[in-house]
Amino acid sequence: MLTPFHYAFVQRGALELVLLSVGAGVLGTWIVLRGLAFYSHGVAAAAFPGLVLADGIGFAPQLGAFGAAVAFGFGVERLAHRRREGHDTLTALVLVGALALGVILASDVFHSQANIESLLFGSVLAVGDADLAVAGAVSAGVVVAAAAFGRRWLAVGFDAGSARALGIRGALTDAVLLLAIVVAVTSALAAVGTMLAGALYVVPAATTRLWIGRLRPWQAASVALAAAEGVVGLWLAVEVNVPPGAAIAVLAGGVFAVAAAARAVPRTALAAVTAGVLVAGCGAGGTNARPVVVATTTQIGDWTRAVAGDEVRVHQILQPNTDPHEYEPRPDDVLATAGAKLVLENGVGLDAWMAKVVSRAGGDPRVVDLSTVRTARRQDDPHWWHDPRNAEAAVRAIAAALGRVEPDRRATFARNAARYERRLRRLDATIARCFAQVPKAELKLVTSHDAFGYFAARYGITVIGAVIPSQTTEAQPSAGDVARLVALIEREHVKAIFPESSINSQLADEIARETGATASYHLYGDTLGPKGSSGATYLAMERANANAIIRGLTGGRRGCA
Amino acid sequence: MSVLVRAVDLAAAYPQAETPAIEHVTFELAAGERIGVLGPNGGGKSTLFRVLLGELEATHGVVEGGDRFAFVPQTERSRLDYPVSALDVALMGTLSRVPWWRRTSGRDRRFARAALARVGLEAVTDVTFGELSGGQRQRVLVARALVQDAPVLLLDEPFTGVDRPSGELLEALLAELAHEGRGVMIATHDLDQALAWDKVLCLNRRMVAFGAPGETMTRAVLEETFGAAVVALPGEGEAVGVMPAHHHGDDHT
Repeated sequence: MLTPFHYAFVQRGALELVLLSVGAGVLGTWIVLRGLAFYSHGVAAAAFPGLVLADGIGFAPQLGAFGAAVAFGFGVERLAHRRREGHDTLTALVLVGALALGVILASDVFHSQANIESLLFGSVLAVGDADLAVAGAVSAGVVVAAAAFGRRWLAVGFDAGSARALGIRGALTDAVLLLAIVVAVTSALAAVGTMLAGALYVVPAATTRLWIGRLRPWQAASVALAAAEGVVGLWLAVEVNVPPGAAIAVLAGGVFAVAAAARAVPRTALAAVTAGVLVAGCGAGGTNARPVVVATTTQIGDWTRAVAGDEVRVHQILQPNTDPHEYEPRPDDVLATAGAKLVLENGVGLDAWMAKVVSRAGGDPRVVDLSTVRTARRQDDPHWWHDPRNAEAAVRAIAAALGRVEPDRRATFARNAARYERRLRRLDATIARCFAQVPKAELKLVTSHDAFGYFAARYGITVIGAVIPSQTTEAQPSAGDVARLVALIEREHVKAIFPESSINSQLADEIARETGATASYHLYGDTLGPKGSSGATYLAMERANANAIIRGLTGGRRGCA
Repeated sequence: MSVLVRAVDLAAAYPQAETPAIEHVTFELAAGERIGVLGPNGGGKSTLFRVLLGELEATHGVVEGGDRFAFVPQTERSRLDYPVSALDVALMGTLSRVPWWRRTSGRDRRFARAALARVGLEAVTDVTFGELSGGQRQRVLVARALVQDAPVLLLDEPFTGVDRPSGELLEALLAELAHEGRGVMIATHDLDQALAWDKVLCLNRRMVAFGAPGETMTRAVLEETFGAAVVALPGEGEAVGVMPAHHHGDDHT
């Protein structure tokens, strides 16, 4: 039952959670008491423009997040000084502004190429010594600040109108509190992710508040509950293999719900429910055998399975139709990486988070960035696999890497790779033939985002535009962008727009309606399709994309079967 | 007698307001004096206190003296859901003396307990503030002001919503404090009570009158102060039946 805690990365995660809990429990009581829960959440969300800026100008993302959060806190504080609205209203106001600024910066100023969110990649499963040190320092800082300013925070919150008469500089006192929240939340954000930051800083204090009416015992109970929820949630996450951030958040929410209900319900019923939940929790889960090779993306997983056959266990991290931008590792991913002999990455920023997972998992795998072997290159575009020649080079590299890891099976890998490479060349030839039948003037592509540069370059297609004119899905097109795109589509007589299966296609549909082009053919951009779909394997996916494009461009008259 | 506070032709306005909230306020508070500040709701009593406390800047005139005020707010301004005991609240009175890096000392605690005892609350020092009665809460806030040990006390409607024993205790306490040489200002709209103070300051956005209650509280002054008919003057042996409509504000009619 306690096996998860044998792993070093789980131990470090638990230690990180306990360290964070001290600050979170103490600060959480002040957050709840002063009605700053939404503000704390806003601090985390407001980091976005800072990340875009850090990426665009080129400085540390943590610094960007922190700067944005400080600016956010300062904005709320200034407004709170002048206006009567509560912190909630002002937080919402400033938050909307911050997010809007982030979107404009990402879309129109920097045309952000990278996956902005992953810059602040944090997971309790990938905690390093530096993270532990930061968590300890922040908690110590919070405890010191609360000890020094707690009485003043209490007095100002208790009756703000008397603060001045009591000799308290209310604005300064509040600024210290708001700043403490900014520092604590952004540091937690970088170490353990957004979801967990919220779950630790607000929920335990809100839960214990239901039961305890005195400040000191309340703070102690909040620290204890935050630590308990963190460690139990982490254990649960490993047992049932879900992202720990989500597991801890759900657990904390559940405990709050039970605690709130318990205020009204007899104790015996409560005990029964709690026991039931615990038993259910214990029953779930299972263990996984050690995989040998970890592949980050769906297509790399597919190639690796083709080359390795049954000789090797392949652990693929991303699943079909998940946006790689919104990835949080599951315990299985870290476990697999810890025990892996080989890690295969896509590179060019698409799976930059993997480096941290590898370094923190504690194993010693060989890491191969497959983008380094591609034969066709486009600047800063991570979607290189859409050119089958790059896939061929990658497959060859995979076979070589597998051969080094498992020298006994080298011949099998080489044979499998050779067979797969032949199929790739056939695929390439087939697709090229299909496109050759379409008049060059009609080969004009409009997609959801710039994921098809490699594909277009390979088959002589002109990319007229993208609905999201940048490679991060966080970016949004401006009204001007959309208008220009519509005009372009009409002028160039583009017959079809191709939304991607993993990205909301509403805007593409809207533009299609506006221009009379069709938007009913979907493409597989970032990931393969799920099992049973037309894009379930790499070979099927590229063929399906070619087929969809040709059908779209010829009004369904031709295809590429 | 030494003058603790002197205000000359004081005016103040809230940001973005076109008209001043108070105007032409001139008075002196001497040591050992109790001044009743009389006026209708919205007449500027709280505003005057805010200016004296330095929370609101005067747009005209000056206040001399009284750098140190203790303030007793209306009880409904304080949070009943806060995890604080009567003692915790009383201890807030030490914050002006204790620098932020120092912890509460045993001496501060003894001082706070003594203040609570003085307002008759020694039995409930550890009871949560929100669980006390309205009168007890008012007394806790007075104890907090006592802990501040300031030469001047400002009390905003201290008798509103307070039970009779608390009210009587409070009146006696204010007399004691004045006797110790402190200056006390009490915002109120209870005319009968105002007769007991040393001075009254009648305020309805501008100062109507200031002086000893017997001479100052004439029918004309009170009508101008409260903007309504005074049925009978206080202290003339008749029932005091002052302008119900405006006295308590429109929300009570």
